[in-house]
Amino acid sequence: MPVEVILPKVDMDMATGRISRWYVDEGAAVKKGDLLFEIETDKAAMEIDAPASGTIRDITGKEGIDIAVGEAVAWIYAEGEAGKPAKDVVAEAKPVQNLAPAAPASVATASAFSPALAPVKAVAPSMPLNGTRATPLARRLAAEAGLALETIAGSGPKGRVMRKDVESAMTAPKREVKAALWPDQIISRPPASSQPRPAPQRSAGAAPLNFAWLRQGEGRPIVLIHGFGADLNSWRPMLAAGPVDAPLLALDLPAHGGSPRHTPADLDAIAADVEATLASLDLGPILLVGHSFGGAVAATVAARGHADVRALALIAPAGLGPEINGAFLQGFVRAKSEASLMPWLRQLVAAEQVLSKPFVNATLAQAADSELRTAQGEISDRFFADGTQTFDIRGLLAALRIPVRVIVGANDRIIPASQSQGLPGEVALHVFPATGHMPQVERREQVLKILLEMARA
Amino acid sequence: MDQAVRELSYAQAIQEAMAIALESDERVFLMGEDIGVYGGAFQVTGDLVERFGADRVIDTPISELGGAGVAVGAAVTGLRPIFEFQFSDFATLAMEQIVNQAAKMRYMLGGAVSVPVVMRFPAGSGTGAAAQHSQSLEAWLGHVPGLKVIQPATPYDVKGMLLAAVADPDPVMIFEHKLLYKTKGPVPEGYYTVPIGKAEIRREGRDLTIVATSIMVHKALEAAKTLEAEGIDVEVVDLRTIRPMDKETVIESVKKTSRLLCVYEGVKTLGVGAEVSAMIAESEAFDFLDAPIVRLGGAETPIPYNPELEKATVPQVPDILAAVRSLATGSR
Repeated sequence: MPVEVILPKVDMDMATGRISRWYVDEGAAVKKGDLLFEIETDKAAMEIDAPASGTIRDITGKEGIDIAVGEAVAWIYAEGEAGKPAKDVVAEAKPVQNLAPAAPASVATASAFSPALAPVKAVAPSMPLNGTRATPLARRLAAEAGLALETIAGSGPKGRVMRKDVESAMTAPKREVKAALWPDQIISRPPASSQPRPAPQRSAGAAPLNFAWLRQGEGRPIVLIHGFGADLNSWRPMLAAGPVDAPLLALDLPAHGGSPRHTPADLDAIAADVEATLASLDLGPILLVGHSFGGAVAATVAARGHADVRALALIAPAGLGPEINGAFLQGFVRAKSEASLMPWLRQLVAAEQVLSKPFVNATLAQAADSELRTAQGEISDRFFADGTQTFDIRGLLAALRIPVRVIVGANDRIIPASQSQGLPGEVALHVFPATGHMPQVERREQVLKILLEMARA
Repeated sequence: MDQAVRELSYAQAIQEAMAIALESDERVFLMGEDIGVYGGAFQVTGDLVERFGADRVIDTPISELGGAGVAVGAAVTGLRPIFEFQFSDFATLAMEQIVNQAAKMRYMLGGAVSVPVVMRFPAGSGTGAAAQHSQSLEAWLGHVPGLKVIQPATPYDVKGMLLAAVADPDPVMIFEHKLLYKTKGPVPEGYYTVPIGKAEIRREGRDLTIVATSIMVHKALEAAKTLEAEGIDVEVVDLRTIRPMDKETVIESVKKTSRLLCVYEGVKTLGVGAEVSAMIAESEAFDFLDAPIVRLGGAETPIPYNPELEKATVPQVPDILAAVRSLATGSR
């Protein structure tokens, strides 16, 4: 992390100050203690030293303008440190990190501080970088769900975000959630399919799908396709597991989330929808990731060759064998209450503790949408008739000439882990012990690491 | 053995516990001011002097320091004294014996002796006894390693915990709220113990945890009944022991409900609820909190003589109702 250089408070009642003169230029090498700039208040002029050694960049504090106390005026990068400073990250989705008070090292030290004023230095940096009021529980739940705390409207005193606010953000209608979460990303991307979608329709040809940018970043985009009965929000818990530096796009399958509610004829029809969506975004080469049924879709997209898929990651994929837990599929689609849903959700994972309350509530909210579940029931009947996977992706994988990794849980109760045996030799297989059908939730850190490695390769 | 259950008052339950201890263990004896023929300031010892004789139910002169010193000394020699203060406020007079002697001796003598003394303190306000006879000083003694400090809230608990205290090798301080003496509840006959250091969930609930001590347990339960009708489901934890405190039960409860209200009669600042609050803030339960922790404690004042003002200085049921409502609705 680059070290922040802030405008320090050098006077008890100082709210703003002006930099009268910078002594270093953008890109200059500085040593800790070197003179950086001079500030002027009504009462005093003060010389400010570098809080760390490195290269000074992103000098935003211009000379002669009023700057609020505590504001960053430049950043000092350590050797080999690259990229934009963490400011964007801060504004993004890591509320837990935002909570950490800035380290004392990040305070610009003023060599001329009188001892009496010295304690004041600690005031600005000890304030959380993120000023959002939230209860500890709300912060934890938002972090687990991968929601940015500052985008959730708090209903408590002085706008404090509480558990119920996080839960309603999780269960809000998809489009609203998306707009509330990532306004920059939504606006900055080509509008092709982020426009209000026509009401559910049967499309003869390919229909663009609903999508959301879950993270922005540098490098090869990662495109995520969720499993049967889920939606694009199901990836958020994994994103909370660590820093993500790659751009990350998640799609809603047909009849899932905010996508049109038609029943596709076969995997090729869904692949065509995915391809149309990706083409509208002009992404260039991508890493394609699919979970369960989404894994079969991803493999089909990769095999068809219309999209520029450079690597493929399949998490607990469907299509490797005939058997699937038919009772689960039927029970899940029918369940309307927490009592009837929980037994099925428990089958998804090896240890039920990973089923967070927001996850359960979000699933319940979908279950309440009977039109959605009816459409999904039709998909289940078509693709998993009589508890059987009616499609096979083994042939597709054998023909692929790109890196493919399959990630499964040894204790998967939906699709047996044994189906991942006998894959082509070039396909890498990760088997997580004591893990069920949701490795991306149950082993979120490890799975995220694998995906980021693949995106960087 | 058939243990028939009767309705006894809190005072009767204490007397029965002491009678069982006197009967079953010849090392046990009682000491205190006016506990003999007079039967005790609150008539807790009653006719025990007639049943067990003046050698085992001993009236002491009016000197708490002297009496406590004799009790501590007797305990060091292997006897099992139960020493009654007329009012817990007079613990101040015996602090040397309690804090510097009883609490320290086992430690300073490398475990060569223990001090199995039990001290009983009639405590709390509500009897119009004014500032020097109405305090709740349990937090004072709770601050001293080497002591065990308990606040039983029911007749069942006070009998079982008193017998556990007599069997305990270390000094145990029992704070008995004076308004509890006449309250009744089921008490089995015969010998049983209730563990020291274990809290009890008096009422299970979803929405908010009240950790209460002594008489405040009953006020919290009364409030919980009203709140139930309003759709607020309160869990009431009776702390029972303030040293050693049962952290686990409180932590698990707060993890379940995400909200904590501490209700205690002692002065709010630096009191039992302050300790419970800080303990929760330091614990794994922190990440489960969905509202600020709130304390309801005694006012920062000596207890007034005027009965209306006396009531106003300690938490009452309407105070608990108001605090829970503001917490549960997220307006606090």
